[in-house]
Amino acid sequence: MDIRAHVSMVFHLDKCIGCHTCSIACKNIWTDRKGTEYMWWNNVETKPGTGYPTLWEDQEKYKGGWEKKNGDLKLKLHSRLKGLGNIFYNPFLPTLDDYYEPWTYDYENLFNAPEGDDQPTARAISMVTGKPMDNIEAGPNWDDDLGGSPIYARNDVNLDELTEDEREQLNELERVVFFYLPRICNHCLNPGCVAACPAGAIYKRGEDGIVLIAQDKCRAWRMCISGCPYKKTYYNWASGKSEKCILCYPRLESGQPPACFHSCVGRIRYLGVLLYDADQIEKCASVPDEELVAAQRAMIMDPFDPAVIAAAKKNKISDAMIASAQNSPVYKFVKKWGLALPLHPDFRTLPMLYYVPPMLPVLAKTKDGNYDVDGAKGENTFAPLSASLPAMLSSLEKARMPIKYMASMFSAGNVKVVEDVYRKLIAVRIFKRAQTVKDYQQAEVDAALAAGKTDAEEVEAIFRLTALPTYEERFVVPPLAREVAVEAWEKPLDRKTDAGFGVRNKINRRKF
Amino acid sequence: MTKGERPSTIWFVPLLVFALVTAVTGIVFAKPLAQTSDGEALFKEKCVACHTIGGGDLVGPDLQGVAERRSNEWLTQWILAPDQVLASGDPIAAELLAKYKNVPMPNLALTPDQVDSLLAYMGSGATIGGTVLPTGDATRGKALFVGDKRFENSGPQCMSCHSIAGIGALGGGSLGPDLTANGYTKYGEGLAAFLGAPPTVTMNVVWKDTPLTPQEQADLFAFMKNASVSGREPGALLQIALLAILGAAAWIALAQFYWGKRLKGVRRPMIERTLAAAQK
Repeated sequence: MDIRAHVSMVFHLDKCIGCHTCSIACKNIWTDRKGTEYMWWNNVETKPGTGYPTLWEDQEKYKGGWEKKNGDLKLKLHSRLKGLGNIFYNPFLPTLDDYYEPWTYDYENLFNAPEGDDQPTARAISMVTGKPMDNIEAGPNWDDDLGGSPIYARNDVNLDELTEDEREQLNELERVVFFYLPRICNHCLNPGCVAACPAGAIYKRGEDGIVLIAQDKCRAWRMCISGCPYKKTYYNWASGKSEKCILCYPRLESGQPPACFHSCVGRIRYLGVLLYDADQIEKCASVPDEELVAAQRAMIMDPFDPAVIAAAKKNKISDAMIASAQNSPVYKFVKKWGLALPLHPDFRTLPMLYYVPPMLPVLAKTKDGNYDVDGAKGENTFAPLSASLPAMLSSLEKARMPIKYMASMFSAGNVKVVEDVYRKLIAVRIFKRAQTVKDYQQAEVDAALAAGKTDAEEVEAIFRLTALPTYEERFVVPPLAREVAVEAWEKPLDRKTDAGFGVRNKINRRKF
Repeated sequence: MTKGERPSTIWFVPLLVFALVTAVTGIVFAKPLAQTSDGEALFKEKCVACHTIGGGDLVGPDLQGVAERRSNEWLTQWILAPDQVLASGDPIAAELLAKYKNVPMPNLALTPDQVDSLLAYMGSGATIGGTVLPTGDATRGKALFVGDKRFENSGPQCMSCHSIAGIGALGGGSLGPDLTANGYTKYGEGLAAFLGAPPTVTMNVVWKDTPLTPQEQADLFAFMKNASVSGREPGALLQIALLAILGAAAWIALAQFYWGKRLKGVRRPMIERTLAAAQK
């Protein structure tokens, strides 16, 4: 058992209102520099939709992530030999058009325009060429709220699993059913970007698992951009280096959550430490598709187990870090309650950002002023609402967004895993509704709890952390203790005598 | 080297030892530069390529009676540093240059002692040069030029440094001048003698110890005489152009084969595909 600590994340999609505040917070801090205009380390997508960059989930095109070849785990991008052949020309890169051509507006014209018959306008100006862009064709959230759905939503890769009938139904519905998917770097346990980098510039920090690109080692081969199936490394054309989400590690190191977490309006984001067993990484990434989620959950260790704590201490994980792991909301959502699922585990990178899938309405029709789920209440138009509610909230088969679609996103196609999550979420709803609205019979509540394989105590805890969490409960930022971690490769006192504290790079006084 | 450690300076010690050993052995065992002061031997080595004594003009004039024609000072200056004399605008030098097809006499880097012994030899009334070469065979000459046939004294094939018309589209090396225009056309019949003992600094070093046999000399001369008459054929230029185009096409085809399945944009094709499907 090789226990390591990982600062991990949960996004609760039920709470996401798609306001893009997270994206803006991130952009303002990290990617408003020259060369980064098109990057959105944090972006919010509408699902169904093709996302940013367009169709990033389609690895037949982009060749990101891992695949099993003759039982071995191989990069989908290339073998070592083929990587050498492609080293000066990587054939699987998204074009700028697949991201979008970034633009701003000529706001000055609003103030400086000469007097005329019309109101002055602020023309769109390309941030790449500096020329006016009068025909904007795409943006990082072009399919926002299904704006481009006849084209974009229809091409969502996750719809491939659905039958023609289901797709047709969804086409009818797509104007009213959608949800949001905020995405940042998943800081994977088996990152494709790290494996693809020929320069060895990308690394995963030992003490917290944050994946970073060393800017002084990056040689712009851009293999990480292809290697990452989530397309979350970006090439900075001005600096000639690749960049990615750094999980705001400077903020984490000073005890604050990352900016996108902190600014989240819907408070959908949770951050905390997970203890995992690094010995299981390869095995876990190699299991058949339908077992991926279970294997990844199995990798995450119980921070209260004395054996785990002893192994963690042997690996020099501090007591404070272990305490933080015990307190982690992420541990609860992912392992204890089993509600949060990795995004596209089929890419086999073992992402450490987990999503609680959104509850979406079921198929129904209004009949004589009543919201009627098929067969739930028959022809009795004056029956109380509660009669149709259990069916409405529990009929997964009639969910507007087919379970198969969610399974394609969150469980590598394993419908059972997603169903289990939904049954528990439904149990929470019915339980709380019975408490506050009191329109459920105790038998119905008990049935929901049984179906969700949960109990009243757990449901209360889930409700509390979902609906009423405090800042401290959402963000359990561990003390990262960089001053200790840095001693692993550098002697702080040497630096002190050489250059004084506070100088990052050694002063080279002697020239050879 | 981990950060924070002082860079080690020990690396240059073996380098220093190596440099020392090389220098010492070099000094001890180096052959002193051949500084022959024997006038006849010197003339054979340095002058016969272009001059005879009593054998008629080659590239340069026949030197019989030169001691009477020119003053001793002028001759000494000229042989020591012909380039400087030419540059100074000396009228005799200019006249000679014009007379001998504008081929300037090269600076042979001789010492004053050597010049003295050369002058003594020239004034001694000896005759040298003007030997009649055997009949040359241009085909054999070409084989020698391109290296299909080895030189008897193992000299390097001409092609490694020189190019000339008539040896294929790709030509030869470009280190030395292209001999199409700088061979027979420039030196005329004197070229044959030049080949026997090339005096220019680069050629002299290469050929001093591995001279051509008279037969090889004649063959090469025959080949170069043939090759240089016409200059480069237009056909050869076309051949090069064609090779370049074919080569480029082959590379493009290969790249297309290797990278044919590359990603050529995702969003635009997706939109076009969807719109086309919707129209159907």
